[in-house]
Amino acid sequence: MLILARKIGEAIAIGDDTIIRVLEIKGGQVKIGVEAPAEIAVHREEIYLKILEENKRAAHEAPADLSALTSALTENRQTGKK
Amino acid sequence: MAPATANTKIEDQEMLTVSTSRFGELTVSPDKVIHMTSPFLGFPDSKNFMLKPHGKESPFMWLQSLETPTLAFVVIQAAIIAQEYAPHIPNYVKQELKASKDDQLEILLILTVPKNDLKKITANLLGPLVINTKQRLAKQVLQDPTIYDACWPIFK
Repeated sequence: MLILARKIGEAIAIGDDTIIRVLEIKGGQVKIGVEAPAEIAVHREEIYLKILEENKRAAHEAPADLSALTSALTENRQTGKK
Repeated sequence: MAPATANTKIEDQEMLTVSTSRFGELTVSPDKVIHMTSPFLGFPDSKNFMLKPHGKESPFMWLQSLETPTLAFVVIQAAIIAQEYAPHIPNYVKQELKASKDDQLEILLILTVPKNDLKKITANLLGPLVINTKQRLAKQVLQDPTIYDACWPIFK
């Protein structure tokens, strides 16, 4: 792993068009600004880990027979939002 | 996501045979294969899948890996269980999936079905599978975690 020391306002360039800049350091937390092309997905790592974990769980559990669920499903409607 | 039907264009194409741990040997026409433009997180070796309906009357489908016999997800069209679900699909994803119009895209949700309690089934709204049904290209597209949940119970 490449390790670089940076001060507030300093940045790291990745490739030709991605810049990661330290904006603020306060109370054990660092604010980081990311400039990247639109086609580069930027997410907090936890989101990736959560999706990865849920994918593994979904693949692992998956039973073969789902008939019991089919009828119950039509009676339930939700919006999906939190 | 229509199941494989008679299609004159594929008559002279050879069917692919896929071994699976749940369903034994399956055959799939090459033009029904769904290719992941980037693989599912956690499953980097599986890039091609097929959809297998669970049954004639069932809205559930299996997304079976062609590379990994043991890998299959239970999926369902998002509109069936979450009518107002409107995931954000960035332009770069549309380009990646070669979709010029939104109506070429279909949203599937991956379900986690606990073996011992089917009613505790949850849908992953945080990482929906977006498919260009015409081009057979797909990608899991991460959503805003403040809006959508990875383990959303589909039964109240």
